[in-house]
Amino acid sequence: MSNHIVEILRKEIETFKADIKTEKVGHVLEVFDGIAKVSGLSDVKSSEMVTFGGGETGVALNLEEDTIGVIILSDFSKIKEGDEVKATGRILEVSVGNTIIGRVVNALGAEIDGKGVIKADKTYPIEKVAPGVITRLSVDQPVATGIKAIDAIIPIGRGQRELLIGDRQTGKTAIAIDTILNQKGQNMICVYVSIGQKDSKLRKIQTRLEEGGAMAYTIIVSAGSSEPAPLSYIAPYTGVSIAEYFMDQGKDVLIIYDDLSKHAVAYREISLLLRRPPGREAYPGDVFYLHSRLLERACRRNKEYGGGSITALPIIETQAGDISAYIPTNVISITDGQIFLETDLFYKGIRPAVNVGSSVSRVGSNAQIKAMKKVAGTLKLDLAQYRELEAFSQFGSDLDESTKKQLERGKRAVEILKQPQYSPMKTEHQVVVLYALTRGFMDDVPVEKIKEFEEGLISYSENNAKKFYKEVAEAKMWTDAGEEELKKAIGEFKTNFTNN
Amino acid sequence: MQKISPKNIAEAVYEATKEKAEEDLTAVLKRSARMLKGKRMLGQSSKVLNALQDIFDKKTNTVRMKVTTAKSMEHERRNKLENEIKEKYSARSIASEFFVQEELLGGAKIEIGEEVLDTTYKNKIYKLEKFLTK
Repeated sequence: MSNHIVEILRKEIETFKADIKTEKVGHVLEVFDGIAKVSGLSDVKSSEMVTFGGGETGVALNLEEDTIGVIILSDFSKIKEGDEVKATGRILEVSVGNTIIGRVVNALGAEIDGKGVIKADKTYPIEKVAPGVITRLSVDQPVATGIKAIDAIIPIGRGQRELLIGDRQTGKTAIAIDTILNQKGQNMICVYVSIGQKDSKLRKIQTRLEEGGAMAYTIIVSAGSSEPAPLSYIAPYTGVSIAEYFMDQGKDVLIIYDDLSKHAVAYREISLLLRRPPGREAYPGDVFYLHSRLLERACRRNKEYGGGSITALPIIETQAGDISAYIPTNVISITDGQIFLETDLFYKGIRPAVNVGSSVSRVGSNAQIKAMKKVAGTLKLDLAQYRELEAFSQFGSDLDESTKKQLERGKRAVEILKQPQYSPMKTEHQVVVLYALTRGFMDDVPVEKIKEFEEGLISYSENNAKKFYKEVAEAKMWTDAGEEELKKAIGEFKTNFTNN
Repeated sequence: MQKISPKNIAEAVYEATKEKAEEDLTAVLKRSARMLKGKRMLGQSSKVLNALQDIFDKKTNTVRMKVTTAKSMEHERRNKLENEIKEKYSARSIASEFFVQEELLGGAKIEIGEEVLDTTYKNKIYKLEKFLTK
């Protein structure tokens, strides 16, 4: 065995040729907090990858008169003043391949899950110009999140960028994870980019995805909170490069950036250390471009350019519900809509705590299936009217019949839209439940029994309205015959439910 | 106003000292030092000196070479190397420094400005290590 190894090594040494040529070399002037100031390397390009004497990599970000500012992407404690730095002539790249699916990688695309080296097919640059107008197609295919409040009221389409925004502990990540779990069998590859999160949280998410069988189509890119800021800065670009690799194969990809507030903070840290002038909230002047160039890479490409799409769900954490802060307003203006989560709703027990009034999907309605459009068409308006009447009704007791009816319908709608974590619902089930709600079948069901009614209705209708289910699943819309069958099934179930 | 860089100061000092005789030169240099103090840039004097040397080298077409070898280089070989470099860079004069570093094992490392030609055994072994562990 050892002879065999020696033989292999001998052959390799024989083929080895030390390529000796003149190289341009710079020297480290100073190193601090993940940043190195380097003299020389006058030909280096912006965002070019450089290597240090000990094999560490960095990216040239600041090109000054006599020095360059480099962000170090590995352990900077080993780099010393005077160390040699070489330019590589390449933009930072990440290894990609089909075997990356199901793996957890760091911001440089290297495995961190202990399952062995990932075999790469090719490398993709992490910075790329977003696809142009000619290559794009408008959004018209839905991404089913499995969450009733979103699929019905704020639908998301393939290629869309929908922002998840809210305070801490309002369920932003939960929505993202539920969406990934619901992609099983939906022909979608998911990329979850964790930026500056605790390792324990990431582990929990990974375990949940494994339990739900979602790791079979998911990749996790992680830049933990204990890692230097430069890694948090490049992690989302690494994630989108991996997503682009699959999109280039004509596949649909869903990418979640959890979260871009921490990404902006990491970039602010780097910029301040590089002595770039601070602007509003001490963020540098190009913080808008930081997110716009990332989110522009989400798109739906037309068939001539290979098809495929990247749907982006960026997450932003607000402070005390302030959506008018710098980063939230920036990302709101970049994305195609936002799902606003509120602490008050969360503590009232309305979960997911989606504020339907402040949430919007600018392009998603084109992607909604016809059946869903038909049942959920008036739901947003009903809920808005309910909220208004609810506040108004607290002042007086005498309400007219139609107002009372609206209030009762609203209460039931709120109850129906509640959904526990990690239990995404199939689109057909959502259509049935919302049909029963909006057509008034639930109006005389007590509010506290709505959940029970919903569960019972789903299992009953599944067996007794098969035609309706089939039509919605295949043709995305029901026929009159299918509707009659469903109405009959709901009626039968309701009689049984009220009798028991 | 734009920030004054050590390079700007060096260029100004060079222009002021050009074609100056001994006494005048001393006076100009003294005034330059006072200006550095006035502009609170004395801390950057080493950078100014380096920049001044670069300007001077450029104007006089001088190449600065640093050679590091495992063993001390013989005089003849030094001259040969200097002549070759002078020819390669079409330089009028050459200012060379020779160092010995045993851990290089063999070969030579020649540094001219940013350009480095590393033919040392240490570098070759490092490259072989990278090749085998790839």
